[in-house]
Amino acid sequence: MSESLPIVEMAGISISFPGVKALDEVGLRLFPGEVHTLMGENGAGKSTLIKALTGVYRIDEGEIRISGEPRLLGGTADAQHAGISTVYQEVNLCSNLTIGENVMLGHEVRGAAGINWRATHRAAGETLEKLGLGHLNPKQALATLPLAVQQLVAISRSMVAQCKVLILDEPTSSLDANEVEQLFTVIRSLRDQGVAILFVSHFLDQVYAISDRLTVLRNGRFEGEYRTHELDRAQLISKMIGKDVDALKSLDAKGARRVRSDAAPLYSAKGIGRKGAIEEIDIDLHRGEVVGLAGLLGSGRTELARLIYGADRPDTGEVTMNDEKAEITSPAKALARRIAFSSENRRDEGIIRDLSVRENLILAVQARRGWARPLPRREQDAIVEKYVSALGVRPADPERPIRLLSGGNQQKVLLGRWLATEPDILILDEPTRGIDIGAKAEIQEYVAGLADDGLSVLFISSEIEEVVRQSDRIVVLKDHRKIAELEGGQGVSAESIVNVIAEDGLGDPSADTAVREEVTT
Amino acid sequence: MSAKQRLAQVVGIATVGALSLGLTACSGDESGGDDLTTIGFVAVGPEGAWREANETNIQDTFTEEAGYELKYAPATNLDQKSQIDAFTSFVDEGVDVILLSATEATGWEDSLKRAQEAEIPVILLDRGIEPDDTDLYVTRIAPDNIEVSTAVADWAVSAFPDGANYFVLEGPAGVSVVNERNEGFDAVAGAQPSLVKVGAQTANWSTEEAKGVVETVLKSNGNDIQFIFAQNDEMGLGAVQAVQEAGLTPGVDVKIATIDGTKNALTALAAGELSFVAEYNPLFGETALDVVEKVLAGDEVESSIVVPSATFDSPEAAETALPDRKF
Amino acid sequence: MSANAHGPFEALKGLVRRQYFWGIVAIALLLLVNLAKDPGYLAVSVGSSGNLVGNVIDILRAAAPIILISVGMCLVVATRGIDLSVGSVMVVAGAVSMEFLKGAPDTVGSGLAAIGLVVVVSAALGAVNGMLVSVVGLQPFISTLVIMLAGRGLAKVITGGQNTTATNEMFRWTANGHVLGLPAVFLLALLLAVAMGLLVRRSALGLMLEALGMDAKAARLAGVNRRALLFTVYILSGVLAGFAGVFATASVMTVDVSRTGYQLELDAILAVVIGGTSLAGGKFNITGAVIGAILIATLDKTVVFLGVSSSATPAFKAVVIVALCLLQSERVRRAFRKRRSAVAVRPAEREKVAA
Ligand SMILES: Nc1ncnc2c1ncn2[C@@H]1O[C@H](COP(=O)(O)OP(=O)(O)OP(=O)(O)O)[C@@H](O)[C@H]1O
Ligand SMILES: [Mg+2]
Repeated sequence: MSESLPIVEMAGISISFPGVKALDEVGLRLFPGEVHTLMGENGAGKSTLIKALTGVYRIDEGEIRISGEPRLLGGTADAQHAGISTVYQEVNLCSNLTIGENVMLGHEVRGAAGINWRATHRAAGETLEKLGLGHLNPKQALATLPLAVQQLVAISRSMVAQCKVLILDEPTSSLDANEVEQLFTVIRSLRDQGVAILFVSHFLDQVYAISDRLTVLRNGRFEGEYRTHELDRAQLISKMIGKDVDALKSLDAKGARRVRSDAAPLYSAKGIGRKGAIEEIDIDLHRGEVVGLAGLLGSGRTELARLIYGADRPDTGEVTMNDEKAEITSPAKALARRIAFSSENRRDEGIIRDLSVRENLILAVQARRGWARPLPRREQDAIVEKYVSALGVRPADPERPIRLLSGGNQQKVLLGRWLATEPDILILDEPTRGIDIGAKAEIQEYVAGLADDGLSVLFISSEIEEVVRQSDRIVVLKDHRKIAELEGGQGVSAESIVNVIAEDGLGDPSADTAVREEVTT
Repeated sequence: MSAKQRLAQVVGIATVGALSLGLTACSGDESGGDDLTTIGFVAVGPEGAWREANETNIQDTFTEEAGYELKYAPATNLDQKSQIDAFTSFVDEGVDVILLSATEATGWEDSLKRAQEAEIPVILLDRGIEPDDTDLYVTRIAPDNIEVSTAVADWAVSAFPDGANYFVLEGPAGVSVVNERNEGFDAVAGAQPSLVKVGAQTANWSTEEAKGVVETVLKSNGNDIQFIFAQNDEMGLGAVQAVQEAGLTPGVDVKIATIDGTKNALTALAAGELSFVAEYNPLFGETALDVVEKVLAGDEVESSIVVPSATFDSPEAAETALPDRKF
Repeated sequence: MSANAHGPFEALKGLVRRQYFWGIVAIALLLLVNLAKDPGYLAVSVGSSGNLVGNVIDILRAAAPIILISVGMCLVVATRGIDLSVGSVMVVAGAVSMEFLKGAPDTVGSGLAAIGLVVVVSAALGAVNGMLVSVVGLQPFISTLVIMLAGRGLAKVITGGQNTTATNEMFRWTANGHVLGLPAVFLLALLLAVAMGLLVRRSALGLMLEALGMDAKAARLAGVNRRALLFTVYILSGVLAGFAGVFATASVMTVDVSRTGYQLELDAILAVVIGGTSLAGGKFNITGAVIGAILIATLDKTVVFLGVSSSATPAFKAVVIVALCLLQSERVRRAFRKRRSAVAVRPAEREKVAA
């Protein structure tokens, strides 16, 4: 890295929203050929700073220089013209268009007679190839893809145009290790071509793996700019949260395994499946137990969770709860049986943007009661107070529309919505997506505490380590079927799970349907 | 603005819907082939008692016993498109004669030309067309609106020797009947300086709307209206109610004259609520039958045949007529 | 921003920010125009029977049926639906009640029975809409269009194509009677609208409808029972339209099968939009819908009062409504504002990411 002139230089940037000073004299410098990570807690102002740069938000004070020239951009499209490509935090595609159309939107290949769709789709295919998405058919509808793949498609789109600056706001929040690696390869190659890259992530491993330079924000204020190698993790965390890191120790400590009672399972599914989503599967959930679902992207984890919750209707199989047959064919029925499901897709299946934090929090509780029995305001306030403080939602203003919260804070409200239903079974699909490391530890501890008290948790995460750390038992999925069920414990590690996945299908072909592999020590 | 797009869509789709219903209404059974003369009747459909009497009378005249198969195609919600549609399919089907009561006067040239090319004679019933090109149809059978409304005006002139302020309740704007009734009335009343027209508004032939209009018109003129000319009975009856609500006595403070002569109107006339009813005779099935037979036999017919109509100017006259009133 | 200013001025500012504020302004302007023609326009006097008489009273009376269908429409629109059948439900209600009353004795009992019958029939029609939308899964536009077309046909079948007339004092009273000098029909409509408002805001119905209208997918996953809610709103809309039909026919005690309620669905949609409820669903405003309905009645009455000629009437109405929509539009308002407030922001999600 040569210390050349910064291509983007922001200085003294301030932005206020009604009631919040989101940015207070913040600076940022991006250099060509460098990966720069923006760090900070949820609500620190990272996304706001990015939107200030692209001109989505007007700045109240400060100066932005691009290639040395003072300049104010007028929005995403304008930024694109100026060579700044942006992928915002929430996947922002048109789900009713095809993959190819999404990737090429605004860059369609034109022929004599208007848009040449054939060529456009071919170009889209080439772009996708770079991110290892060559197997996707550009003519497929976007909506059919899992969220993580949609995220990759959004990133592909930002790379269609030649750009000098590429901004990725939490691009990896729902990706697993392989895809992250693939993405990093692309980022590195762009960096080597001299592109300046701004990257936001709450995963410290990734930050250290990819970035050359860091800017840390705290509470809307500039904390400092550092060379990544100058700062170790503990220092970085303390810069972010402004205090020492002891609180985070528990992240790494493996909690004591819960002892499962021999009582009959709370929930037991025999052969549930749905065509095209997941093959017939057996799964039991016990009180006071955390079951993890492990598997690669597209292995059917989310599909299984949705089936259990009734978000999709199972075609086959039987479910018993507390030894009686249960028909769970809709979310409302699942909720009535005290099953809760927090979807990975916060934007489309989670928050209701225009409702307030309070309304979003109580929505599921209220839906279960039915509209005729409104939750008294007193109880609503009690729920709001409890979860806003337990989960650290900031700002703690329950009447604010949820769309005005930062991504991580929206996620906390969603978790609160499900916890407020006081479920017996809690299905968490990427529950800590976009949540900063401090809050993540607290939330994991909170959920673990509930499990100790008898809650049954089904946990999905693309971070296999996290699954291993959290779970008492792990169900491994591959290609839409269950390939193993592992009791958590000393013998199970991320590696052993990856091995199980890798070996499946290689070995004895007779043993490959729903083998129950008990790895215990 | 999306609201307006949506509205435009509403109107568009509603029309398409109405159209397709019209289609189903007339592309009915193809049964009666055996020597019966097929008559396609592009009708107005439910509109009020007058129309009901008229169309029933036609249907009762062209019966199978009389040697006819009548295909009755009423318009959907008085919509002209549904009529044009029904008309076209009668032409395509090749009926022997088409009877047409147009909901709207204009826009019939193309359809009538098609019928002409297919050599299907068209007879207009009641409603005329504009421009009135007599080459496009065989004849129009109707009571004469101009004559009828002139009768109302004549009565008004004699009923208000000292003059009066009057208001006209019109049918929907642009309909030929409305134009003709205005023409006949204005020719006489307009020439009489003592009769002062304070205004005219449409109430779309509807009792309810007429009541609302008259209610407001009375207020805007400080109740200084002595005469209301309602172009149909229904609106006249609405006017009666509005006049009563305003604390005035119909027939005394405000005299109301109507056209049509339905049973309801004659009852009101007998009760003194209406003051004058000019009949617009709907019962001309016999005349129509006569004309159809002549046309099929190749005889010449007049391009306009006027159906004679009566007038009722007193409660007594109404009472006499009521017992055998058919409509 | 001063936090503790809660005077009447603040209240006024709050009102100005409401979408329906412009509806109120439009009503005031129309009244002014009428006043210019006749300085006594707004005068309300006590009539011979002790009731209030005046143009304003007429407007309130004329607004009653529109208020009812607009409130129903407002709830349906909140779920991202539309109910095109309200006008046809009105005519069916009118047909049912007139046919029933034609053969019934002129007693309070039969008047009430007719209204009861209307409630049942209109709820049934609403339920058909609800079923087509929620169970069969047809688009609301198409489902209610079906009922809109079939309803008028049904009314014709019920009356045999006649415009049936009947007499019943009690039934007639609903549209022409007075309570404390005010038109009963307006008070009844207002009462029903307020009842709806309370039902929706005191229970969780409002929240559920908004959630459903804003984001059906997320609402479903949150356990919101879409089917039951849709049934509920379409039935409510049907019943309200049934009452509107009662009022419209009771006024003259005649049902006009081709005219009663004809195209009133368009008035209702307009009233809802003027009242600040977006056709895209979500947040809704019943007060706004009521104000929109009163505006439409004012407009209708103004046309007559000014003596606008019949052929110019549609254009006159269109001009007023377009002007109002323009005033309400954010973009136009912003263009008028000299300086945009520094905190105004556009949510990032609205932005097109592509160039
Ligand atoms: N449009 C807005 N209106 C009002 N407040 C806003 C708006 N956008 C952001 N904020 C507030 O500004 C602060 C910074 O939000 P921002 O989205 O930049 O956080 P972030 O650092 O990206 O957090 P996360 O890690 O959760 O994504 C938060 O308090 C948020 O509530
Ligand atoms: Mg963010």
